[in-house]
Amino acid sequence: MEPMILTHCAAPLLEARALCFKRQDEPVFAPLSFRLDSGDMILLEGANGSGKTTLMRLLTGLLQASSGEVLWRGRPLHRDRSPGDMLFIGHHLGLKARLTPRENLRTSVDLYGAARTNIDAALGYLGLDAVSDEPVYRLSAGQKKRSALARLLLIPATLWLLDEPFVHLDGSGVELMNHLLARHTARHGAVLLSSHDQRVFHTAGIKRMRMDI
Amino acid sequence: MSRTLLLKACTAMLRHDLTLAWRRRADLALPILYALIVTTLFPFALGPDRLVLQQIAGGVVLVIVVLAMLLELNTLFREDSDDGSLEQLMLSPQPLAVLLAIKVLVYWLTSAAPLIVLSPLLAGLMHLAPRLLPVLMLSLLLATLLISLLGAILMALTITSTQRSGMLLALTLLPLCVPIVIASSGTLVAAEQGLAWVAPLAWLGAALVLALVLAPLSCAAALHIGLDG
Repeated sequence: MEPMILTHCAAPLLEARALCFKRQDEPVFAPLSFRLDSGDMILLEGANGSGKTTLMRLLTGLLQASSGEVLWRGRPLHRDRSPGDMLFIGHHLGLKARLTPRENLRTSVDLYGAARTNIDAALGYLGLDAVSDEPVYRLSAGQKKRSALARLLLIPATLWLLDEPFVHLDGSGVELMNHLLARHTARHGAVLLSSHDQRVFHTAGIKRMRMDI
Repeated sequence: MSRTLLLKACTAMLRHDLTLAWRRRADLALPILYALIVTTLFPFALGPDRLVLQQIAGGVVLVIVVLAMLLELNTLFREDSDDGSLEQLMLSPQPLAVLLAIKVLVYWLTSAAPLIVLSPLLAGLMHLAPRLLPVLMLSLLLATLLISLLGAILMALTITSTQRSGMLLALTLLPLCVPIVIASSGTLVAAEQGLAWVAPLAWLGAALVLALVLAPLSCAAALHIGLDG
């Protein structure tokens, strides 16, 4: 990937200004302001229920902020027009249990208009060769997670929003994930992720953001 | 460029949903069996009198087909909402309304279209006059498409609510079905009496055109609103 020339200091990739989300008039987290530039990796920290997932869904535009705003490349994020330049992998992996990992990935790739030719390589890279034609319901939790994470390899996106990407992954899976994260930020991508397991990172230059009110 | 991408995404969505439907084909046999069983019960309940059955045949087949296709309605969008695929669709760069329209099309293809193919058999069991069969199938075609589109809006409205009340779906769907059933049976009655039957059918057609344009947009809006809850 070419280094991005268009990014300049004035407009960060993603910016939150006094972002607040209320559920039944109760604020889920205190108003948040932060910016994410290309090459950044932010780790969201906070107890269960502190609003990490909610924040990610706000940043994708799936949820609408109660107050404040989200700017994507300097422009307000329209939730009915997704920029198609961010990938969100949440607790629900978005895999169809009755389809195979290969079929699931083919649909994702086609939805984003990405190249289909890399699917085999991505499945191999994530160690899913043996199960790539098994229906997803027969896969283990870790294999399901790997199938969903294969999207990161196949769909070109600048921003990755990863909700607990290390959960269910084994040692080699964690290793792979760390490698992917480091490679993405080195290529001027940006990552916002949440994780409870502090041991699994060995990526330098990670910024931390606490979510507790 | 973006048009070919959209076309590619649409064919991918269509193939994806049809594959899913094929993998659960046993479930999809339920509406067909239901329609067959209920239709065969009528002659037993009312007696085999040909004239009695013939008189109510059109209306009975119409109502049975509508009820049978609604058996599958609450599966529409449900799995997508549960497994996170709906979120992935919303985040994809393609217009959500178009992708949802394809989902509704697949719902119609898998639950209503087989019933329309079966309708000559159902009509035969009820001794419907053969000359009315084309009119029946035509009005079924329009009515089932219209119900699929309206049902999809209601599913989109109720799917994300925490209660997921089936009761709410039933209560809201009933009043929407009434005018559709009236117009379809009006077509049949007119054809039976040798009157011009195009007018009620044209009403259905007009409503269908309106729904084709507005229903996918409403579904997309409803799902967006529902997520905020």
